[in-house]
Order: sequence, then C-alpha cells, then structure tokens
Amino acid sequence: MKNIRLLIVDDEDDFRKTLAKRLTKKGIVPEQAENGRKALSILENKPIDIVVLDVKMPGMNGIEVLNHIKKKYPKTEVIFLTGHAATQDGVEGIKTGAFDYLSKPIEFEHLFGKINQAYEKIEREEEKSREAEFRKRMEEQMVTTEKLASLGTLAAGVAHEINNPLAIINESAGWLKLILNKEEMAGIPRKQDLEKGLDKIEKGIDRARRITHQLLGFAKKDDPIFAEVNLRELVDEAVHLVNREAANKDVEIMREMDPDKSIVWSDPYLLRQVFINLLTNGIYATGAGGTITIRLEAVGGEINLTVRDSGKGIPKENLKKIFEPFFTTKPPGEGTGLGLFVTRGIIEKLGGTIAVESRLGQGASFTIKLPKYRKIKENQDQDERIRFLDHLANQSKSVP
Amino acid sequence: MIKIPAKVLLVDDEEDFVEMLSLRLKELGEKVSVAYSGQEGLDTLENTHIDVVILDIKMPGMDGIQTLREIKKRFPLVEVIMLTGHGSTETAVEGMKLGAFDYLLKPADFSDLSTKLEGARKRKDEQEERIRKAEAKLLVRRSGGFFSDRFV
Repeated sequence: MKNIRLLIVDDEDDFRKTLAKRLTKKGIVPEQAENGRKALSILENKPIDIVVLDVKMPGMNGIEVLNHIKKKYPKTEVIFLTGHAATQDGVEGIKTGAFDYLSKPIEFEHLFGKINQAYEKIEREEEKSREAEFRKRMEEQMVTTEKLASLGTLAAGVAHEINNPLAIINESAGWLKLILNKEEMAGIPRKQDLEKGLDKIEKGIDRARRITHQLLGFAKKDDPIFAEVNLRELVDEAVHLVNREAANKDVEIMREMDPDKSIVWSDPYLLRQVFINLLTNGIYATGAGGTITIRLEAVGGEINLTVRDSGKGIPKENLKKIFEPFFTTKPPGEGTGLGLFVTRGIIEKLGGTIAVESRLGQGASFTIKLPKYRKIKENQDQDERIRFLDHLANQSKSVP
Repeated sequence: MIKIPAKVLLVDDEEDFVEMLSLRLKELGEKVSVAYSGQEGLDTLENTHIDVVILDIKMPGMDGIQTLREIKKRFPLVEVIMLTGHGSTETAVEGMKLGAFDYLLKPADFSDLSTKLEGARKRKDEQEERIRKAEAKLLVRRSGGFFSDRFV
C-alpha cells in the first residue's frame, strides 16, 4: 500500500471515526479534524497529500477551508463531501480546485477509489515537475559547459597568438641590451635611460608571459604531465592569484607549511587549478575578518594538504552533493558548480583523494591526500567525460 | 676562457622572431643560420655544419615534430631544442621521446635558452668524442695493437 497521508475533516464524529477505521484497515491511517480550524493547524504541522473535506461544518465551512488549502498547499488534493443532492456545493468545490466531490451518504469503496485516483494525480504531477526541473537543469548545464569550453578555447587561442609577438619583443629587447653592454657603447649619452626603458620592457614581457602561460594552463584538458612539484611554491602562486579577491572580502589566508616536505611528483598545472578552486570556494564561504588556513604535512608516503576556512560551513545534506557536477549553492549565474567536480577529477587523476569535513557554522575543511610519487590505478585513466555521462545516466534512473 | 661558438640553426616560420633571436645569439658570438620552414631547415643541414637546431613546433607545412623525425633520421648527431607554446607541452614531451634534447616555452627566458643551448652543444661534443674514441679502438683492434700507444 502506498503511504498516503490523509486528513479527514468532518464535524460528525461517528461518520469520521467509522471512515477512519475502515481506511486504517485498508492501510491508510488518517489524521482527523472535527472542524476547519483544527484541519488547518494539522496542515500547518504535517505534510498531507489528500484531504477528505465535509462542506457543511459549523464555524469555517468547507469552501473556506478549501480556499485556504489551495492557496497555501497547492499540491494537496481535496475530495469534497457534500450533503445529499447538494450538487451546487460540489460544483463550487471543483471550481475552487477540489479534485472531485461525493454526495453523502457515501459508499466507502467509491471514496477509496477517489482517494487513490487523487493520489495518482499527485504522483503524476510530482513526476512532471521533477522532469521539468531535471530538464531545466540539464539545459542550464549544457549551456554552462559549452560556455566554459568555448571560453577555454578562446582564452587559449588568444594566449597562443599573443605569445608569438611577445617572443619577438622579448628577443628584440634582449638584443638591444646586449648591444648596449658592448664596450664601444660604454660612453654613449643617456645610457642609463636606455637601460631603464629596456628593463621595463623586459619586466612587462615577463608579466605578460605569466598571464598567457596561466591562461593556457587553465584551458588545458589533457592528461597529467608529471614533474617535480614544489607544493609550497605552487600554493604561494595560487594564493597570489586569489589574494585580491581575499583582500576585498577582508579574508586572511594563512599558510602552515613544512618547507622540507613540499616536494611531490605530480602535475603542477592541474594542482594549481585545484588550489585556486579550493581557495576561491573558501573565500566565497568566509565572511569579513575570517581566515583560510592552508596546511601542508607529510604522512608516510603521502602529502596531506588541508584548506580550512572559518566560513559558514556546509549543511549536512549538501556534504554528499558538493563533488557532483553542477551542484552549487551560489545564485544562478555566479557559480558553475564545476569547481569541486573538476577538483576531485584532477586529484583522482593524480592518484590522490579529496575529502571534506564541515559543520554548519563552523567552517569547512578540505583535505587532499597525494602520493609523493606517481601511483595511478589502472581504472582511473577512465575519461572524465565518460564519468560525467555515467553520472547523468544514474541521475535520470533515479527519477521515476 | 674563450667561448667556442655553437653552430646554431634557427627554424621558425615567424620571420621577425627568427631575425631578432639570431641577432641576439650572434651578438653573443654564436654562429647562426636561419630557416623559415622545416624543409628549408633540412636543406640547410644538408649543406652546413650545425651543432644545435632550435626548432619551432607549430609551423605550416612540415611541422616541428615531422622535421625532428627527419633530422634524427638523417643527422642523428645534431641536437634539437624544441620551441613550444604552453598548450603544446605534450608535443614537446613527444619530441623529447623522439630524441630532442630539451624544449623551451615561447617566449623563452634567455638564460634558460643559453643554458639549454650550452647543454645541447656539450652533449653533441661528448657524443662525437665517444665516437672518435670508439673508432680509434676499432682501428687499434684491426691493426693488431700496432698503433696502440698513439691512439689510446
């Protein structure tokens, strides 16, 4: 038997109690109310699927109660019970939004059938709205994914094109500098000014190069390239990149790192992206005056890196979902819901794990465990995109 | 110590870049040849004695990797340094598996370039030295040790 949550509202005690008894035998244990006011207070405290509602009651009458219900609980279905031959009440009830009406004296089986029909309608509606929501979410996700992909391609393209002229400027400046340092040039007037100008050009090139290389690093989607990585330097770099954001929110980023134990064999660009993701999340979650602490420690053959924030924390029901693609608590348009999904993908690709601990109001802490040396399980070179498709398939399965 | 100039061949379709980098290297005393495509680079290698090739990966027509394969096939002792954009690091790694000495990101840091250039040239010298010694030994064995004092 389906677990139908039912409420009977009728001022006739005998009728109500008998009905309740018979329904209980059929597996539906109903709530009971002898008047409209009581009915509304029950609805206030308990989710109810179906209300069997008598029209003629002292005090608040059935139509009034129905109006209230439809306004406040639009998903709740109402079956109207009208007096003998009072078709007018029934019609008015349906106009107000009742599922159907039955005239007293009612036949139990008839009412039971109506209850089931009403419940089926509720189920259909729920499924429809779930489907609509799912479709809407999917469409949004597609748009986001496409946007991200094209943004990445564009950024990479621009960065690549800029690198070539940048290289020309770089070589030209370097050449001029060499000439300027020749013996025969020792006595030329305003030599220092020329040197100063060249120096600035070189610094500018360096800055532009860092930007283009970072852009290209972000856009990268390839397999990890393993190299010796100094985690401390990488963390410094990531902190440097998000520092302005942190300063704007008056969030302090603290580092507790053991300098001797920060070398791992991993992919620096992927790891940098992970750090930036975690730091950006932390900054978003943390209010003014808060702190984010990055802790680095070596445990056996592993490196543990923890990013802890003093922010608002993650509600229990969200903890399981935060690594899912497109799960976000940010307002629409602000978060992609991809940050932690990508982060977890990267960490697993690198042979590590990521875990989260959080309690509401007490901040959150993300711990990454990375092997010091390469250790990739075979089943982990599965394509991230395939995993994503699997995820979608599972999601649509869980929608009945 | 007097610097022994390296004989460098610069291969890149970006003409301004080739011109400026070659001026810079020449200013430092290196001997520089230039080529603006993979094919032109191979032709140059055919006629000119070269120690190290600085080779751009992204070129129209014959790309850097194809050129590298050809170089390694026809001039195995010539060392190659790949020039790459950041996004094509994978290609650079592939290049090294094919026998390139190292790679540089564009725009390259000049001290990096100098270090790698020096390293490449040194490797070529050492390799040639080993070959000379091996040949000498071979000669000694063939001649029954007659010249052994003079060669080993």
